[in-house]
Amino acid sequence: MKRLSSQHLRLVLLAAALLAYPLVFSGAFYRDIGVTFLLAAISASAWNIVGGYAGQVSVGHSMFFGLGAYTPLLFYTLFGWSPIAGIPVGIVFSVALAVVIGMPTFRLTGHYFSMATIAVAELIRIFVGTWDFVGAAIGLQGPAVARGWWDLTFRSELPYYYIFLAVLAVVLATTATIERRRFGFYLRAIKASERAARSLGVPVRQTKLKALALSAAFTSAAGSLYACKTGFIDPDSGFGILVSVQMVIVAALGGAGVLFGPLLGAAILIPLQTATNTWFGGGGSGLTYILYGGIIVLIARFEPGGLFELWHRIRPQRWRRAHAA
Amino acid sequence: MLLEATNVSKAFGSFLAVSGADLSVAEHEIIGLIGPNGAGKSTFFNCLAGDTLPTTGRIVFDGNDVTRASPEAHARAGIGRTFQVPATFEDMTVLENVMVGAFLRHPHRNDARDHARRIVELTSLRPDQLGRSLGTPGRKRLGIARVLATEPRLLLLDESLAGLTPTELQEAIALVRRVHETGVTIVIVEHIMEVIMTLTKRVLVFNQGHVIASGKPEDIVRNEAVIEAYLGHGRRKRRGDTQ
Amino acid sequence: MVFVQVITGGLLLGAIYALFSSGLTLIWGMMNFINFAHGEFVMLGMYVALLVVVWLAGGPAIFGIAAAVALAALGIVIYFSLVRHVIRGPMLAQILSTFGLALLLRYSAFWLFSSNFRSLPPNALSGTLSIGGVYLPVAQLVAGVAAIALTIALHLLLTQTTVGSKLLAVAEDRTAAMLMGIRPDRMQALAWGLSAGAAGIAGALMATAYPWSPSVGETFGLIAFVVVALGGFGSVLGSLYAGLIIGLIQAVSAYWLGAIYKDIVVYGLFVALLWFRPQGLMGKA
Repeated sequence: MKRLSSQHLRLVLLAAALLAYPLVFSGAFYRDIGVTFLLAAISASAWNIVGGYAGQVSVGHSMFFGLGAYTPLLFYTLFGWSPIAGIPVGIVFSVALAVVIGMPTFRLTGHYFSMATIAVAELIRIFVGTWDFVGAAIGLQGPAVARGWWDLTFRSELPYYYIFLAVLAVVLATTATIERRRFGFYLRAIKASERAARSLGVPVRQTKLKALALSAAFTSAAGSLYACKTGFIDPDSGFGILVSVQMVIVAALGGAGVLFGPLLGAAILIPLQTATNTWFGGGGSGLTYILYGGIIVLIARFEPGGLFELWHRIRPQRWRRAHAA
Repeated sequence: MLLEATNVSKAFGSFLAVSGADLSVAEHEIIGLIGPNGAGKSTFFNCLAGDTLPTTGRIVFDGNDVTRASPEAHARAGIGRTFQVPATFEDMTVLENVMVGAFLRHPHRNDARDHARRIVELTSLRPDQLGRSLGTPGRKRLGIARVLATEPRLLLLDESLAGLTPTELQEAIALVRRVHETGVTIVIVEHIMEVIMTLTKRVLVFNQGHVIASGKPEDIVRNEAVIEAYLGHGRRKRRGDTQ
Repeated sequence: MVFVQVITGGLLLGAIYALFSSGLTLIWGMMNFINFAHGEFVMLGMYVALLVVVWLAGGPAIFGIAAAVALAALGIVIYFSLVRHVIRGPMLAQILSTFGLALLLRYSAFWLFSSNFRSLPPNALSGTLSIGGVYLPVAQLVAGVAAIALTIALHLLLTQTTVGSKLLAVAEDRTAAMLMGIRPDRMQALAWGLSAGAAGIAGALMATAYPWSPSVGETFGLIAFVVVALGGFGSVLGSLYAGLIIGLIQAVSAYWLGAIYKDIVVYGLFVALLWFRPQGLMGKA
């Protein structure tokens, strides 16, 4: 009972901090970082469902992000509709794509799935860049001036912050629910040993597909939010490999397969990214990705479980030292 | 007959690992499968468990044809198996490991947890221990507990008692007996003769892909063909390991 | 006549695809592992060639060998420092290890060499031949032919030499190979050396005939995936056929549909393979 309430307390503190942040740090610069942080946390948490919990490592998740980003702006550009109309459509397309990719590749080894994700994301990126209907290389734009709240085009960062925070809460609540139920157990079993899972009656392929579909849906939503906020999308910002990279590294650094892992990863990487981009100017983004590459290699080599895993490994020793004296 | 395997063969390319093997198992029996390494018993076992697709033959369980059924379908039908090297879910606790099995018949978490707890008690493991921290005997017991949670009617044990100290072995044998007493039919693949002699009532002997002898354990050990298979009368060419 | 030109060009480039893809397929066959940084190995081979020409004024033979040796060494180092550890671990570690490496190498190259496209300065292979009305840059011809020869050489190395049979033994059954006195660790390191070396020399060959920038690694990596998937995972000979076919398909697509579509067709082929024939032409899935 005692442990339960300290967990609840930490959760309440976290929620309070996130709610209060843009009110305390009210400058545009800080609010912008806050929004970027939330977006990164949402995408990475979405990735986490299939990549962290189920262990199916997608390195092309930008395909879902991009679909979610393009559909709202497409509906606006074609019909003048509110971008909100495009959000569910993006989700439907993403889920369909998830099934199309998952069905053949989940029969084969994990490497095949990863290869497929990278190839399909790249395929879509290049294709979209040649298709005039969706703006080709130039991309699409959203409403320049809001016609109402439903255009989701705000001049201040504040509304975006709270909308994103709400979506993040939904993603995390869904993941937490999954963790407790059969689906979550099955995901973890598949990650640990597919063969053993199968022998216990786990419907491996269906479970993986569901995880990918759910992850795709949330990732698509993240993409839609991004498009609404920036008011602009093009093949690279929607489907580029760096979009996929960021999702993976944010989740993996904090802790893949851990509920709050992506949040921790985003809390570290987004400020870091902003810092390196500011210090090094234009060349900064190149340096950022050298750093990302290095961090990913280190995580893979030394601590695939990310910082949460590292903390759990160190912590028992601290307990022992504290009680030995 | 609970399980009826007829004329099962498995070829890997040009190599015939199992050739025309038959097995009938009645409810509540404990059957042993023995034979030297590479004799085909493990391949046959994998055919029974659904991990390997037989090239020919038919396997019928409780009236249903499971010859080409997937491992998941086997589990749902009521056939459970353990692995020689238990693939423990390392980052999950003992209880959580067993719950994965329990979820097959108990989709709701609390039911699954209660059922799993009962199974864990049966195998005297500590529910909150992390899978990763278990030693070999613990992992083997966990492997049995996990599959028990799926409430199998037929349990296939794949050399689950190897690598144990004499004390651990006695405990493991006692566990298998307890399991059998709850009404589960058991087929054991084993090298350890003590296990075969004390637990099984009927034994099938494999050599070079064929069943060369079948009968009561005490008769089998005196069977000339069986002795020759194990000790080897002259070298016979074998084209690879079927394990 | 233009069509013959397109076909020969496609086949010659495809030969180089075959060469570097055979390295990727070798690693798959040995260890069931995909090197996501393989394209970057090719890219680095190109820059090694450039540096050798610029600093040492070396000719094609010299920078070819330099690229092969440098990348082979890199491959072995990566095996020992990284791959050997992650191969026994979770899938996440396995995938992220070379994926992160690819990013590291790619963006380091961007930082060191900028994103400008380069070509080698004029050398022994400059110039164009005219054979029966078809214009062929000498460099393309030499590179393509050399690539085919080297791929076949790799295939022969694997199937006809003692070393090759040891490598194949480890690929087939690691434990059995150990019992026969073969050291799997050493053989796997050797495979990484061969794989990276093949990529490096393919890069050097390509540098003689086609301009490049650090961005090409990403494309070559994906092309290698497609070639390996088409030719069959683990089959060097399969890579040879598949590489030529892919080069051909790419050239014909560019000719008929336009240059921007050539990659779409190739990646689309990959997706189709996933659905209909994951084991490719000649390999095990």
